[in-house]
Amino acid sequence: MPVAASAIYFLNLRGDVLINRLYRDDVGGNMVDAFRMHIMQTKELGTCPVRQIGGCSFLYMRISNVYIVIVVSSNANVACAFKFVVEAVALFKSYFGGAFDEDAIRNNFVLIYELLDEIMDFGYPQNLSPEILKLYITQEGVRSPFSSKPSDKPVPNATLQVTGAVGWRREGLVYKKNEVFLDIVESVNLLMSSKGSVLRCDVTGKILMKCFLSGMPDLKLGLNDKIGLEKESQLKSRPIKSGKTIELDDVTFHQCVNLTRFNSEKTVSFVPPDGEFELMKYRITEGVNLPFRVLPTIKELGRTRMEVNVKVKSVFGAKMFALGVVVKVPVPKQTAKTSFQVTSGRAKYNASIDCLVWKIRKFPGQTESTMSAEVELISTMAEKKSWTRPPIQMEFQVPMFTASGLRVRFLKVWEKSGYNTVEWVRYITKAGSYEIRC
Amino acid sequence: MAPPPAPPQKSPSPSQPSGKSEVSDLKLQLRQLAGSRAPGADDSKRDLFKRVISYMTVGIDVSAAFSEMVMCSATSDIVLKKMCYLYVGNYARCHPDLALLTINFLQKDCHDEDPMIRGLALRSLCSLRVPNLVEYLVAPLGAGLKDGSSYVRMVAAVGVLKLYHISAATCLDSDFPAVLKSLMLTDPDAQVVANCLFVLQEIWNLEANKSEEASRERETLLSKKIVYYILNRIKEFNEWAQCLVLELVAKYIPSDTDDIFDIMNLLEDRLQHANGAVVLATIKVFLHLTMSMTDVHQQVYERIKAPLLTLVGSGSSEQSYAVLSHLHLLVMRAPMLFSSDYKHFYCQFSDPSYVKKLKLEMLTAIANESNTYEIVTELCEYAGNVDVPIARESIRAVGKIALQQYDVNAIVDRLLQFLEMEKDYVTAETLVLVKDLLRKYPQWSHDCIAVVGNISSKNVQEPKAKAALIWMLGEYSQDMPDAPYILESLIENWDEENAAEVRLHLLTAAMKCFFKRPPETQKALGAALAAGLADSHQDVHDRALFYYRLLQYDVSVAERVVNPPKQAVSVFADTQSSEIKDRIFDEFNSLSVVYQKPSYMFTDKEHREPFEFSEEIGNLSLGQEPVGNSPRYDESDKDLLLSTSEREENGGPSTNGPAASGYSAPTDYNSSLVSLSSQTQSETAISDPGMPKYTSQMTLAIDDLLGLSVSAAPAPPSLKLNPKAALDPGTFQRKWGQLAVSISQDCSVSPQGIAALTTPQALIRHMQASSIQCIASGGQSPNFKFFFFAQKLDGPPLFFLVECIVNTSSAKAQVKIKADDATASEAFFGLFQSALSKFGVL
Repeated sequence: MPVAASAIYFLNLRGDVLINRLYRDDVGGNMVDAFRMHIMQTKELGTCPVRQIGGCSFLYMRISNVYIVIVVSSNANVACAFKFVVEAVALFKSYFGGAFDEDAIRNNFVLIYELLDEIMDFGYPQNLSPEILKLYITQEGVRSPFSSKPSDKPVPNATLQVTGAVGWRREGLVYKKNEVFLDIVESVNLLMSSKGSVLRCDVTGKILMKCFLSGMPDLKLGLNDKIGLEKESQLKSRPIKSGKTIELDDVTFHQCVNLTRFNSEKTVSFVPPDGEFELMKYRITEGVNLPFRVLPTIKELGRTRMEVNVKVKSVFGAKMFALGVVVKVPVPKQTAKTSFQVTSGRAKYNASIDCLVWKIRKFPGQTESTMSAEVELISTMAEKKSWTRPPIQMEFQVPMFTASGLRVRFLKVWEKSGYNTVEWVRYITKAGSYEIRC
Repeated sequence: MAPPPAPPQKSPSPSQPSGKSEVSDLKLQLRQLAGSRAPGADDSKRDLFKRVISYMTVGIDVSAAFSEMVMCSATSDIVLKKMCYLYVGNYARCHPDLALLTINFLQKDCHDEDPMIRGLALRSLCSLRVPNLVEYLVAPLGAGLKDGSSYVRMVAAVGVLKLYHISAATCLDSDFPAVLKSLMLTDPDAQVVANCLFVLQEIWNLEANKSEEASRERETLLSKKIVYYILNRIKEFNEWAQCLVLELVAKYIPSDTDDIFDIMNLLEDRLQHANGAVVLATIKVFLHLTMSMTDVHQQVYERIKAPLLTLVGSGSSEQSYAVLSHLHLLVMRAPMLFSSDYKHFYCQFSDPSYVKKLKLEMLTAIANESNTYEIVTELCEYAGNVDVPIARESIRAVGKIALQQYDVNAIVDRLLQFLEMEKDYVTAETLVLVKDLLRKYPQWSHDCIAVVGNISSKNVQEPKAKAALIWMLGEYSQDMPDAPYILESLIENWDEENAAEVRLHLLTAAMKCFFKRPPETQKALGAALAAGLADSHQDVHDRALFYYRLLQYDVSVAERVVNPPKQAVSVFADTQSSEIKDRIFDEFNSLSVVYQKPSYMFTDKEHREPFEFSEEIGNLSLGQEPVGNSPRYDESDKDLLLSTSEREENGGPSTNGPAASGYSAPTDYNSSLVSLSSQTQSETAISDPGMPKYTSQMTLAIDDLLGLSVSAAPAPPSLKLNPKAALDPGTFQRKWGQLAVSISQDCSVSPQGIAALTTPQALIRHMQASSIQCIASGGQSPNFKFFFFAQKLDGPPLFFLVECIVNTSSAKAQVKIKADDATASEAFFGLFQSALSKFGVL
């Protein structure tokens, strides 16, 4: 049975131990030295996140300025270990409210020790749900709420209790105003060849929810995805209404979603946790609407001059606009001087990343904008080889637009008290890795 | 709530100076607070405790404050308690006497009315890890397992496993596994059930080798009844427990196909779980259940593709690396099934190189007729990548695809374009590939050679590439007008060539070129042979000598040996055996997949690097007894016998091991040959251009010139080993640590040897007959590991130390030799090898 961890270390960038927790005896105490010597102080760092040194495996990841290192001596479950780290960090963040970095660890180290004790026992992950843990590990460290009650009421530490209560939601929540916020966040990944053909393109989306609802509500979400619509029309025996339907390649859901019902009826129904959570994730590869077209022309004029022309077209609705558009055009290292002409926004040369950076704060739909730049290079004797061009990269956010075309058709809330709810739905599309070769 | 009685208050002793050091200062303050009931005392205690813990974290030893910490722990503040438990858990093992102090208050806390405190105390009690305190554990654990609170039961279940690791006997004698089993089947709380399950699994797995009953229990865990019971409750478990449960289900052997489909239908929705670990665990179940049903197995691949690709794209790059490794494994098993998904494996500019590397390998594997063009086009993009290792890797990938026989024509063109990019590393990688391609497709030689011929050998620095270029110069010298002259200039710079590999290839290429264009190459060949004979590298020297003698014997024979008509290579050897691949597949969803080797290769102590040696030698069964048993038993009797046989050995090399004389011989020829064959002489002799009778003339010329025959060579001094060598393990270990490896080589073991190697003792006895003693041995089929040593007979006591790992499934032995006198290690290796090769034959 694969263990997830024998020990866990939190190190800062210099390799000082901020926190360590040994769960099992099968790894020695000096393991962190091995990590420092063999991984941090060599060029190994970044070559592979799983490494074996002297019979122990080190699984590490860096989050802001902290290395989290899991050490195991047996044949561990890697996916589980990494997921555990990610979830643990999310848990810590929910406790310190926001950032997870060296300072946050130093300021909360007792709390982290407390949590590390609960979330893993003898190398097996236990419960990482913030909802449950917050019931008995409070930041102030007051006695747990059960202590006042002499009866042996079972601690709600499992996802589901005998009573059938829902593990991720407390009973008896009351809100004056019942509200649900639903955000559809998509990131578009694009890889375009220098000839302008799409090599690879997909959208990964997630639906984030914030629920402030009283009692134990039952929610049902309807999307314009193909399978869901087909199933619905089958059940109600009426044809699919015209309009765009989306084919989702793959969907994953938060544990609150009733998967059996999703498989049989293709509807997303769930009892939501209180507060913020990620309801579902999906991936789409067919029929992606790219929000931007980029047309670069780069000419090398002799050995010391380059002409860069980049035209960007927005192809989303004219009433919409993109925010924070950044186009990064790589130039050779020996760039000496640049001059720009732009139809909108601002452009400058950033030597630290060897890129021309063109920023446009607000980019309306159905318009186009161009940047032309002249780049002067220092001529070097050695540089007779042609320069290999890294791709142009682009960043943007387009509110009220989904690259997949996904729409929320309905969001229904049932609660036995029958209160009214206010539902807010937002859409936003961001650039994932949006690369155009030139 | 009754307050715990305050411990006896001790006033700080006036003699102790405060503030002398941080720790003693802390001790003092703690002592003052220990009995204080003043309001706010808990807050100041908390601050102090925090300081103690932070010192502990950075590695300062604060164990001196143990008793003070224990005194202060009598508190109702749960955070203080937790800090104290943490402290105690950390230091108890190195201070077992002090740990006894804590037993009392931990036991008391185990009866606290707050289930949290009961649970925490029980967890800490089990984490003390002090063997002589085990007796105090049994009662609280027993009570914990029956506790009304599921939190306590959950902790107690894991506590049983902790107890097992401290003292297996106590754990089993107290009958805890049986309690856990009934708890597992009846407990209403899913987390308790999950904990019981993994604890039982771990215990029975470890016990299974020792007792019949345990292995039966292990089977029971995998019985239909239990697996179905757990599967029916799967939705109650949290995501982590689900991973563990699914791991168990993956081992389940279904009774019939209905069984398989029932389980798969039940688990299908798990593929939609947000936690990637659950998805991977489910995939493992699906793959393993359908192993016997080929068509369903294939459908499973189709079904799991989408979730896997989603997982790759979501989460941090570390997470996607873990998933990608698994995808890599599946792609390698069934490349056809993924051939239409190739675009998913295109590298993103921002991907870390470890991700890119896996993607490149997958792109290579899934290339077929329909997608080769796109894939190769994409790979060519990477050749100009800023990340040089990836650029290299992608060129290699292009070459591998070419070797898979799809669209070779276009690929050869691309490869030749690489050569025009004029980047050193691109040229280097491409040359190596062109060489491999030519070995497989000799028909392309014309196009390739035209381009390769234009490459200046000065631009090629990497040994591998240089060797490839030289190989082509030799092989295709008839098509390259300049070949003999390029070789000649390379030979002139013989001394500047550091890599032995290149020098070896130079020798061979000069020979090949010579057979094709004798008059032009004669001079170069003469120079190459002379330089080769003078070379300090053993292999280069040997090869030069071999060629020289071959030419001397008969030129036409030499041509047949060195330059026979070549058959195109049809398949290049696969690096990994299918057996190993299957074992990795069995261990799906674990580190094995990431490392691409089965777990026994990296978790067994037998397979670890010498890094772990000091620990290891204690675990191996010391070979002293068998060593002592036979030779020392009748030492005095054998003394005479041995000395006579030694005298015989001294008389002539014939009685010595053949390999030994073979290895030590060349060093002696070295000087004589070089002095005899002065370069100018050989040149004049060879350059006699009597074309038709050329071969015989040349043979004569060389014979005349050197005037020596093989038989005239002086007998080499052979290495003798002391049959009574003795070394104690301590010294061996020290020497092993000090000395550098002088020889590390693989050699094969005869099938008879493998058959005879049922226990390590068989080989140990055999090696003793060759005066090689075993100091430690271990392992079981298919891997045995031995540490041998031997001592040189004459002169100062010089030892040879050997680490030998024999793998019976591959019939290979990995030999590492360390020697006091490194120069003699070649000779010793010869002895060792010949002894090993005789194992089981005689």
